[in-house]
Order: sequence, then C-alpha cells, then structure tokens
Amino acid sequence: MSGIQFKNVSKLYQQGENQVLALDDVSLTVEQGEFIAVIGPSGSGKSTFLAIAGALLQSSEGEVILNGKNLNQLNPKDLARLRLEEIGFILQTSNLVPYLNVLEQLLVVKKMAGKVTKEDKKFAKDLLENLGLAAKLKKFPDQLSGGERQRTAIARAFINNPSIILADEPTASLDSKRAHEVVQLIAKETKTRNKAAIMVTHDERMLEYCDKVYRMEDGRLKHDNSFKHENSKRLSTIG
Amino acid sequence: MFLALKELKHGKFRFLMIGVITVLIAWLVFILSGLGNGLSTLSAATFKNMDAHYVTFEEGSRASMSRSLLNESLADELEKADDVSAATGMGATMGTVLNESSSADKEKVDVAILGITPGNFLEPDVIEGNPLQANEPLEVIANDTLKKKGFEIGDTLKIEGSLEKMKIVGFVENETYNHLPAIFTTLDKWRTIQFAAPGSDKGIKNPVNAIMLQGENIDSEKLNKLFKNTETVTKSTAVQGMPGYKEENGTIMMMLAFLLAISTFVLGVFFYVLTLQKSNQFGILKAIGASNLFLGKAIVAQVFLLSFVSIVVGILLTYGTALILPDGMPFSLDFKLVIIYSLLLLVISILSSVISVRKVTKIDPLQAIGRLE
Repeated sequence: MSGIQFKNVSKLYQQGENQVLALDDVSLTVEQGEFIAVIGPSGSGKSTFLAIAGALLQSSEGEVILNGKNLNQLNPKDLARLRLEEIGFILQTSNLVPYLNVLEQLLVVKKMAGKVTKEDKKFAKDLLENLGLAAKLKKFPDQLSGGERQRTAIARAFINNPSIILADEPTASLDSKRAHEVVQLIAKETKTRNKAAIMVTHDERMLEYCDKVYRMEDGRLKHDNSFKHENSKRLSTIG
Repeated sequence: MFLALKELKHGKFRFLMIGVITVLIAWLVFILSGLGNGLSTLSAATFKNMDAHYVTFEEGSRASMSRSLLNESLADELEKADDVSAATGMGATMGTVLNESSSADKEKVDVAILGITPGNFLEPDVIEGNPLQANEPLEVIANDTLKKKGFEIGDTLKIEGSLEKMKIVGFVENETYNHLPAIFTTLDKWRTIQFAAPGSDKGIKNPVNAIMLQGENIDSEKLNKLFKNTETVTKSTAVQGMPGYKEENGTIMMMLAFLLAISTFVLGVFFYVLTLQKSNQFGILKAIGASNLFLGKAIVAQVFLLSFVSIVVGILLTYGTALILPDGMPFSLDFKLVIIYSLLLLVISILSSVISVRKVTKIDPLQAIGRLE
C-alpha cells in the first residue's frame, strides 16, 4: 500500500549508562491525501519520529513501511535513493543551498537522480508558479524573504513527486501571517497532488489545516480528538 | 559539476584566494624546475647531447672524467667488443682564454677545452663557420656563448698559463660542460694543453680521460671483465659523475619535493576547512537524497577546475618570467617537464581533496533535523 505505516515502532538510545526510550511502541498510518500533525513538548520524541519516518534513522523495534518498502531492510545507499525519490523534506529553516537560485534549488534535486530534462524544468517552474514564486526564479536565498524561502523549500520537497511529505517545524522562523500561508500551501499541495504528509510542530495555530492531530508525550503517540471538529470545517474551505 | 560550477561562480572571492595560492605554488614549481633544468644543462649539456650510450672510465674513477686516464688505443679494442658499434676517446680540461689582440683582464673567459677526434660522432654540428679538421691542430670550434662575449670566427685565443694558441673556425650551440662554455679541439692539441707538465700523463701513451661507446645493448659487466682496469657505465651515470651535478640537481629536487609535499597539505587543509564550513549544508543535501557519490563528485570537480585554471595561469606566468630573467641566468623550461609537473600538481590537488570527500561521506544527514533529543 502507499502512504506510510508505523507498526509498533520503538527507538532506544544509549546515553552513557542509561538507555533512553525516545519512541515507545508507536503505531500510525498515514494514507495518501492525508495531512497529519504531530505535536508535543520538546524532548517528547517528535524529532526521532520524523527522523525514522524520513529514513534518516532506523528503529530499534517494529517496522516502518513506506510506499510498500520496509525501511529496516534497506542499506544506506538504498535509503539515500529512497529519500530522493519517495520523500520530500521541508525543514525547520528552509535550508536552501546559498549559491543556487530558486529554480536551481529544485533542479539540483533532479541532478542528484541523473539528468535534468526539459519536462523537469517545466515542472519546476509550474511548481514555483503555483507557490507564487514565478517572479523570483533567478533570485538567490539571501535575496528572498523568510516566507519565500520556505515556499521554495516546499517546492523543492515536491519536485521529485515523492509519495510522502515530511515537514519539520516549517513555521519556526516565520511570523504568524507567513506561517499560515506556508502551512496552507503545504496542505493545498498535499491535497491536490495526493501525498501523505506529516508535519511536526509545536505551533498549535497551524493544526486547523490538518486532517488528524497526534500528540507525542514521552515517546508515546496518541490521537488527539479535540481538534477534529474544527479541522473538517476549515478543510472544506481549502482546495 | 553542476554544484561545483555554481558555487565557484557564487563564491568568487573565496575561490580566488585559493586560486591565487595554487597559482603561486604552480609558478614556483615551474620556476624551480626551469632553474634545475637550466643548471643541469649548463653542467652537462655536452654529455647529454652527445650521441653515445655508454662511457668507459679508468677503474676507480667513479664515473668522473677528471679522475680517469686511459690509453686511446683502448678505443680500438673496445670497438671490437660485442654490441659496441663505435668507440672514441675524449679528453676534458678547464682553462681561461683571452683574445690574442687583447690584454685586458676583464676580457678573459673560463672555458672547458674538450679534445675529440674530428669528424666522428662526438663532434657537434656547427651553426656557423667550419667543422674541425684533423690536419689543422690550431683550429677549434666554440660554443656560441663566446660569440655573445665578443669573440668572432677567425679570432686567435691565448690560453692562460700556456704558450698554446687556438683559432676559432666555427660556433656550436648548447654545448656547455661543467658550467662552462665548451671549446672543441683535436685530442692532440688537448694533450699538449693538459699534459704540458712532464709526468702529468702518468706515463700513459696517447692518454684520454674516457672512451665514449655507441651501442644500445652494451653489457657493461662483460666489458668490465674483458678489459682490466676499466669501468663502463651508462651515459646517465656519467652525467651524474659530472662535478657538482648530483649536488645541484639534488638541491633543486629536494626543494621541489618539499614544495609539492607542502602544497598538498596547504591545499588539503584549505579544502577541508571549506568542507567543514559547509557540513551542515551537505547534511541537508544528504537528507533530501544526495548520495555520497554526488557530493564527492562535486568536491573533486571543483578542486579539479580550480587547480586546472590556476596551473594554466601559473604556466603563463612562468613563461612571462622567463622573458624578463637576466641573460646569464641558467633558466631553461622544458615543455615536457612543464607538462609533467602540471599533471603532478593536478594529481596532488585532487589527492588533497580526498580528505574532504572522506569528511563528507561521514556527515550524518540526521543533522538536518537539527535538534534531535
């Protein structure tokens, strides 16, 4: 099946003498077209969760199935390939390459996979246009505003047509107007392109755009129903 | 290549600085190699130019002309040995000459007087005038350095400390021996100069310093056994035996070796620091799917481009420098050597980037997530 599935996933860290249980028996399924949020205080295991979902870290126990592939069975080279083809990362600060312009930020991802075709270029331009960056194609990151940078990062996450989008505190460095814009865009792109998306955040204002909200506490993941009503109301206004 | 080029373009100043350092290193390498080449030419051009493959010396002379004395008749015997196609004696002595018409001390010139048999393979072609004649013992041919010092064809030379005289009939080029311009004369004439003092020939009839052999497949061991009191060595060993040759060459080579070793480290550290600075960036690229190969290629491509351009600039600067160096400076650039050192520098700078590539493969993409508990 497509989307991403966590089956009883635990992660144990060795810290000197002590063992830290960062993830404790987490199970979760995110279907295509679904946008979920994971919230929780710092130290709750959100980042570990995201790192495992993003194939950057392997779980100690349990299985993670991404688009039909069991991540525990892949070697580092295959994992890099999988990150390139199946996962779109949107990181905390946009983390763009400082010496590439907006269009090149997207094309470099294509370069990693091989050649850049004309279609790739067109797709990149369309993506950027959708995100309101049509006039900024030749600008370098230091010539962009925070919101524009984050929108470039969103476009970069979508360039390879991945099956899953992972967002790590995408609004951390933005004011609330831009933050709303950015999360709205992630939600919109997720819906129109039918991706499974997970956003890790502590910004509760952004939860209204998500289909489901999970709360992480001491490594345990719980479905939080309190946002449900509001979400469905808001979602009908998008897209 | 994509990342490499884009970054070079964006960070012009930073890369310009590294480029300048590479240019300076390349420049210095080429100048040193030119000087080394020039010095060794000055020291042994005559030996290097002559069309011989092996040289026979007196046993115990350790491949030095000045320590060796043989009977010329040995040449005829050697010529009959296996694989020897030709053999001829040669003698060398240092002297100071002066134009007969002049008595000014400042017009004296130090020269190497080389005795050969006129017309055989040791005699270089003249670029001006006539070659040596066996029946004209007065006539000599001289290196064109003398021409630059004001000597002309037809001039008669006095030899200091001797009553002997010589007449220049021709000029040759690139003939220097033991750092001095060479004057070629007949063996007989050379003997009268070299062995003017009674007993200085140690009683050997028709003495020569060494016998030059032609024949690529000569077995020197066999010749050593066959002819008592001789030792036969390759021409390059004989060149090494020139006074001061090994020492000069060794000095230059050591400087070059140190320079190359130091430049490996300097460039390596530069690239490493650059890579460290960007380690967060590489982590992010890895998180979004860049493979080690992709990033490694970007680094090597960048180093290659930077070094290539710098080396080309270094070569141009070197040839520019050669134009303004003073005339007497023993500087001669060998194009083949320049190419060899360029390739060596290129390999060295790419090797120096290996440590950076290694660093990149070690970067954990997890650091892109940043604040992992």
